[in-house]
Amino acid sequence: MSNAEQPSPKEPTSLCVCRSWRGVKEESPEPRLHCEAPLPSSTASASPGLHLSFLPRLCTLPINSSQILIINMLLLEYHNLLLKSILTERFNSATAASIDQVISDFDGVTFHISTPETKSKILVSISVKCYPDLLRHGAQQVLEREYGQHITETETGYDFSLMVDLENLPAEQEAKEDLVRRISLLKRNTMAAPFEKAIDEHHRLAEASKGFNPENAPTGEGTEVMVIRYREEEAMYIQASHDRVTVIFSTVFREETDRIFGKVFLSEFVDARRRAIQNAPQVLYRNDPPLEIRNIPGVKDDGTGDIGYITFVLFPRHLTPQRREESISHIQTFRDYFHYHIKAAKAYMHSRMRRRVADFLKVLNRAKPEVEESEKKEKKTASGRSFRVQT
Amino acid sequence: MVSRCRFNQISGGGVRVQASNVSSTATFHENWENTKMSQSLRPYLKCVRSSLTAAITLSNFASQTAERHNVPEIEAAKSPEVLLNPLTVSRNENERVLIEPSVNSIRVSIKIKQADEIEHILVHKFTRFLTQRAENFFILRRKAVRGYDISFLITNFHTEDMLKHKLVDFIVHFMEEVDKEISEMKLFLNARARFVAEAFLTPFD
Repeated sequence: MSNAEQPSPKEPTSLCVCRSWRGVKEESPEPRLHCEAPLPSSTASASPGLHLSFLPRLCTLPINSSQILIINMLLLEYHNLLLKSILTERFNSATAASIDQVISDFDGVTFHISTPETKSKILVSISVKCYPDLLRHGAQQVLEREYGQHITETETGYDFSLMVDLENLPAEQEAKEDLVRRISLLKRNTMAAPFEKAIDEHHRLAEASKGFNPENAPTGEGTEVMVIRYREEEAMYIQASHDRVTVIFSTVFREETDRIFGKVFLSEFVDARRRAIQNAPQVLYRNDPPLEIRNIPGVKDDGTGDIGYITFVLFPRHLTPQRREESISHIQTFRDYFHYHIKAAKAYMHSRMRRRVADFLKVLNRAKPEVEESEKKEKKTASGRSFRVQT
Repeated sequence: MVSRCRFNQISGGGVRVQASNVSSTATFHENWENTKMSQSLRPYLKCVRSSLTAAITLSNFASQTAERHNVPEIEAAKSPEVLLNPLTVSRNENERVLIEPSVNSIRVSIKIKQADEIEHILVHKFTRFLTQRAENFFILRRKAVRGYDISFLITNFHTEDMLKHKLVDFIVHFMEEVDKEISEMKLFLNARARFVAEAFLTPFD
């Protein structure tokens, strides 16, 4: 129809948000205009609840201030909010209390925070589905480096445990906060091991290839592909080579709508680099396994298109010592971020259709002739008896 | 795009036109004509409007086959002599309206434009959303006729309760709005996807 091709000027409210996002300094009067869908709001962090952790986490990034508000609502944070708030409260309160709480996080990760012996000793355990995969790629070293003397005997049913003694806390507030921050990043640090290994490998290969000239440089063949099966049917594949680190996510779409919405989102991820953000990692998307992982056992091509493979190519500029931590954290959130926004788009569509249906109903109800006021009233006969006019 | 209004076998008695209703819709008609609309859409909707106005000429008619039953004859299809010739109005191969009149009921089925996968899924979701609320939309049929996306069933009881020209207005309004809604949702989805993708990739920049 007429307005299928060009956007109608009045409606798509999200466009004005996009405009302000592109750096043009025109903040839309209400930056949350398009947030019909439940975008994460800052109120989420304020409400205490048992399972807060499924709420999208908030994130602050060093970007210019006009954009921070919008970004805050979009990106997920790397730490676990509930873990952080419990620990902050415990560390700063004078009286000890017993805790026993199971916290779930993305990708089937579960935390257990408890005080098994005395109230002053807090045990934090994590269960990760892919822990054997992570151990193979050096998770133990990373966790030892991050948590050092806090590591304790692993609780049964979990994969890794930390013990914090409230009586032995660092004295300064800043050091306390740092400890809380490090513990709340437990999931991120556990999952970071293969990424760190890949980046180290990349630096080693890059160093080795310096001696070669372009003609006889080693070909693009990287090291072995690390497989992290972090969900039931989905996995991450990481490969290092001398000029890049490749991260491939496989993702399964449960239903047709998700698949199509996912396709729209992914095509924008692919185009974003070409259009606006030149230095972003290259993103590729396909429905059949990419060449790098085609020979790995467990990777199958069922031809239905239900599985998508998203490839991120991290270039050396993302892997410098200053930026690697941020890159590792950020790329870990990709899958959750991506699926979260598909769901949010669906929720918005739903509320929009609901409104439209109400509009249609209104139009249909116009077809009913209005009953005149005088007819509704009771009428009286001369003798005083009242009667109602039958319609 | 040239509009093509195809009348399938309109026999003499097939469509009965009632002149009295034309004047009452005149004001609405003029407003509607003046709104911005693509060149092929206007004659299409106009044709649907006049065909519907002509076809919704219903009277009470008790079933001839079952005693004390009064059913929409177009659905029961038990007595072929009370069914009139169906009529298709098509704008192009993807957009058409099927009008199936009978003595006491009329079935209107609409095929909504679906240019690609996204529009297909959006139309599917939207029509499912509507049909699940069919009770509130007295004239909506719970299931669409095969080959169409959404169907309405208007019986003589509806035309007795409601104003006929307003019913026609509703269906035409629906056809207009549904296309608009689908394309807006599609635009929104693309805009959101772009925004989301850029927000994710910016921290790498």
